Amino acid sequence: MKTRPNYLAGAGAFIWLAIVAVPLYVMLSATFQTRAEFGDNGPLSFPSSFTLQNYVDAISSGFGRYFLNTVIVTLGVVGLVLLLVPPLSYAIVRSQSRAATAIFRLFLLGLAIPAQAVIVPVFYLINTVGLYDNLLGVILPTAAFALPICTIILSGTMRDITPDLYEAMAMDGASPARAFLRLVLPLSKGGLSTIAVFSALQAWNGFLFPLILTQSESTRVVTLGLFNFQTQFGINIPGLLAAVTLSMVPVLLAYLFARRALVQGLMGAGGK
Amino acid sequence: MNNHGWVARTIAGGAALALGLTMAGCSGESGASSRPENELHVAMYGDAGNVVEQKMIDAFNATSEVKIVLDKIPGGEYQSKLQTIMDTPTAPDIFFNWGGGSIKSFVDADLVLPLDDFIKEDPQLKDAFLPSVFETAVIDGKAYGIPMRGTQPVMLFNNSKVLADAGISNPPATWDELLEDVKILKDKGITPIALGAGDRWPTLMWFEYLYDRVAGEGLFQKALEGDTSVWESEESRKALGMLRELVDAGAFGTNFDSVKFTDGGSPALLASGKAGFELMGSWEYSTQQSNDATFAAEVLGYSEFPKIDGGKGNEDNLVGNTNNFYSVHKNTRYPEAARDFLKLMYSDQFVQEQVAIGNLPTTTNTEKFLDKAADPEYAKYQFNLVKEAPSFQLSWDQAYPPEATVTILTAVSQFFSGQIDEDGFIKAMQSL
Amino acid sequence: MTTTLANRRRPERAGGPEKGRPARRGGSSSSRPGFVWALPATIFFGLFALVPLVAVAVLSFTSWSGLGDPKFVGLKNWEALFEDPVMLQSLWLSLLFIALGIITQTPLSILLGVWAAGNQKNRAILSAIYFVPLLLSSAAISVLWRALLDPNFGIPGQLSWLFGDGNLLGTQTGAIAVLIFVGMWQFTPFHTLIYQGAARQIPPVLYQAASIDGAGTVRQFFSITLPQLKNSIITSVILMVVGGLTTFETVLILTNGGPGTGTTITAFHMYQEAFRRFDFGTGSAIALVLVVISTAISFAVVRVSGYDKMRSSMEGL
Repeated sequence: MKTRPNYLAGAGAFIWLAIVAVPLYVMLSATFQTRAEFGDNGPLSFPSSFTLQNYVDAISSGFGRYFLNTVIVTLGVVGLVLLLVPPLSYAIVRSQSRAATAIFRLFLLGLAIPAQAVIVPVFYLINTVGLYDNLLGVILPTAAFALPICTIILSGTMRDITPDLYEAMAMDGASPARAFLRLVLPLSKGGLSTIAVFSALQAWNGFLFPLILTQSESTRVVTLGLFNFQTQFGINIPGLLAAVTLSMVPVLLAYLFARRALVQGLMGAGGK
Repeated sequence: MNNHGWVARTIAGGAALALGLTMAGCSGESGASSRPENELHVAMYGDAGNVVEQKMIDAFNATSEVKIVLDKIPGGEYQSKLQTIMDTPTAPDIFFNWGGGSIKSFVDADLVLPLDDFIKEDPQLKDAFLPSVFETAVIDGKAYGIPMRGTQPVMLFNNSKVLADAGISNPPATWDELLEDVKILKDKGITPIALGAGDRWPTLMWFEYLYDRVAGEGLFQKALEGDTSVWESEESRKALGMLRELVDAGAFGTNFDSVKFTDGGSPALLASGKAGFELMGSWEYSTQQSNDATFAAEVLGYSEFPKIDGGKGNEDNLVGNTNNFYSVHKNTRYPEAARDFLKLMYSDQFVQEQVAIGNLPTTTNTEKFLDKAADPEYAKYQFNLVKEAPSFQLSWDQAYPPEATVTILTAVSQFFSGQIDEDGFIKAMQSL
Repeated sequence: MTTTLANRRRPERAGGPEKGRPARRGGSSSSRPGFVWALPATIFFGLFALVPLVAVAVLSFTSWSGLGDPKFVGLKNWEALFEDPVMLQSLWLSLLFIALGIITQTPLSILLGVWAAGNQKNRAILSAIYFVPLLLSSAAISVLWRALLDPNFGIPGQLSWLFGDGNLLGTQTGAIAVLIFVGMWQFTPFHTLIYQGAARQIPPVLYQAASIDGAGTVRQFFSITLPQLKNSIITSVILMVVGGLTTFETVLILTNGGPGTGTTITAFHMYQEAFRRFDFGTGSAIALVLVVISTAISFAVVRVSGYDKMRSSMEGL
């Protein structure tokens, strides 16, 4: 795009900056104040003292465990997605079987099935196989509902691999498996990181499946922890906001260290 | 275990194999996937009071071969979780409840163990508790629950400093005095009564007391037994009229629908002096105490709900959570262990521990320990209220089966915010 | 259609020898994977999405509280559903949420995205700040805003000239406005990213040509930028529709469906019927309605836009 200044857009961008940043400022400044001080000063005021007690409280009330659980769920979901989606997309893009076309349509439709809609049978399914209140019981359905969007994204990437490359592989007598490992996977790195980011975010933000499929403290994930903190911390808004801030930290770290992959991954969702 | 429905079986049957294959690659995680031998699960309403339950369980486990595991389910989701797992393989062996309607549907589905045999062996399981309390968990003549934790009457709390500043010397003894106080506080720019209407159940408390004071405890009992015509009665309309008058007088301010008790909004209004009163269960005290112990001990005042002239209900009647109970699942593998655990509920140790964290157990020996309470004066006041009360009405949302809760809470909140009128409220209650 | 999308846009090749035989000519299907490759994922998805969907359909004709066995009751749940005022209102509310979400977020994220696509340094810094809400989960955002909007101890308490008595969640209009605003706060960054990515792909030569023709910034925006972003707009709108229909924890935490039933959207109504009233039959019927609507809207968008025929957007999504 041309770099000609656009004052209107610039002004709008700064207004939006205020809308985004003020709540974040309130959140951060609240977490460094005592409850009494926050109550007296009001949320928009500048803190007059500094304390880390709210973070200590949040962590000591079990947040560490919730983090660990969320990390396990996220890794499990990403692992399953990376295991299942690439072969599927490969088949969709390269197979000439009618079944593959039908399967692609199925996943296109699957995009429109909200997880809420099937939560009751999924609960009984998970309970019957003995995975209720078990993180694996959260991982499996969460991964399943991440499949449609990931499949569509990755299939898009794989279509960009030109036919000549496949032909070259075929000339060498490569089997589909070999072509998959040597050609398709290396050339789909962008798409793979996109679906990893996507499924990780879905798992990280997951709320409904953990809400219905777990109950005890040992399987509680961060999102549910926050939901419960709301009642547990009660009046302690700074403590609650410290927990909210903490819940952001791992993603923030991922953002700092893998900013490019994360942003590119998310952009990848939107077409080119 | 009872079978858990053909839908589940159909899905599970066809799916288990495929799932097994999928799972082969994943190792087991933490959590209870299948119940090991000698393990007994107690489903518990998760909150700050769990420390005592855990202590009792630790004491029990020290000597028992069957080990008890405390499953703390977050309070807000408790009833919903319980109902979904009750008739599945992951059902608890012992579960916390409020008696009455909260266990009725489980009893009807034959999922709860009658405790009469236990009581025959050990009469203390019944005799050690105040009879009025014990009755709450008796259904069709059979006992289904043993009281635990404590009783939680609803009282009118106040900020004594705010009242004193406004020249109000005593908490209101009558409805008219309450209306007067409302006017005085309002004129001073203070929200007269804090109400966490965002949670909806705090609003319900006002209905429970108004109906009890105006019509007596019989009206709600009749309604509960299925006589919905009582909602149209003259007393019912009178109670609704008085509530409307109170709301219209600005007693709760204008933004009560955006305030919650559970996120600390309404208690903070009272504590910060922005409001004069709050009608709340006895846990208001411990809530305030955990925020500011000095405020709870020195400024927080409490009184009975005011009496209403010309009302049919006794002025000493109470509403609230009569008590909490432990019930036993019919399919428990270890009924004897469950029985032995229940016996702890009237032990001196249990009562003492509960009293120390501000709960008020309703055993006959509770009075002995009141001096050791967190605030002896408050504990004694409460205990006497409960002992003297001719009737103690269980909260409506607990007295009705859980599926009625949404309707009741929606109706009371809509009535307060003016979205429905008296006829709308009557119609909603008659639909139950 | 009998061929895969991949084949449609390439010259059709003769079906080659069967798997296992060495390929002699390029592009023969010996190097193509069979549909077996697709099976693990398909079975997995079927198990957790399609089989349960069938079960939901069956359950919608039963009466079941989760205790004992479901009882077949024919069309009773469905009849009750069509007469349930809360259900009808919830559908209307859901559509309203989606529409308002699209109206508020799309223009904003297009403008921000196009603006952020520029290469100036300050834009990069601002974009990084815009990005932050994306790092928070819906649950965290809802908890945050619930605290921020407390009428007495939150922002409204301090800015009473702006918010009056702060009864934002106490009126239906206020509660809807809050949910839409929080949705905007949460999701605009994501859609901005989509447009930022897309705007960077627009060939600069188009703008150069337009400049030579004397077109100003505004005109360039409407005649070049917007048309070039068409596919991204469609993608973004579909994601908003599906996301809007399934909004759940925001409503649960911020308004609990209230005041009264004022923000009880269909997804929340379904949860409430199933897990608070323990009427899994009615809950399942509502769930099916959700699926049908979601599918229908997605189909409609795809049809109207010709999305399924567009190669590039197919790849893009």
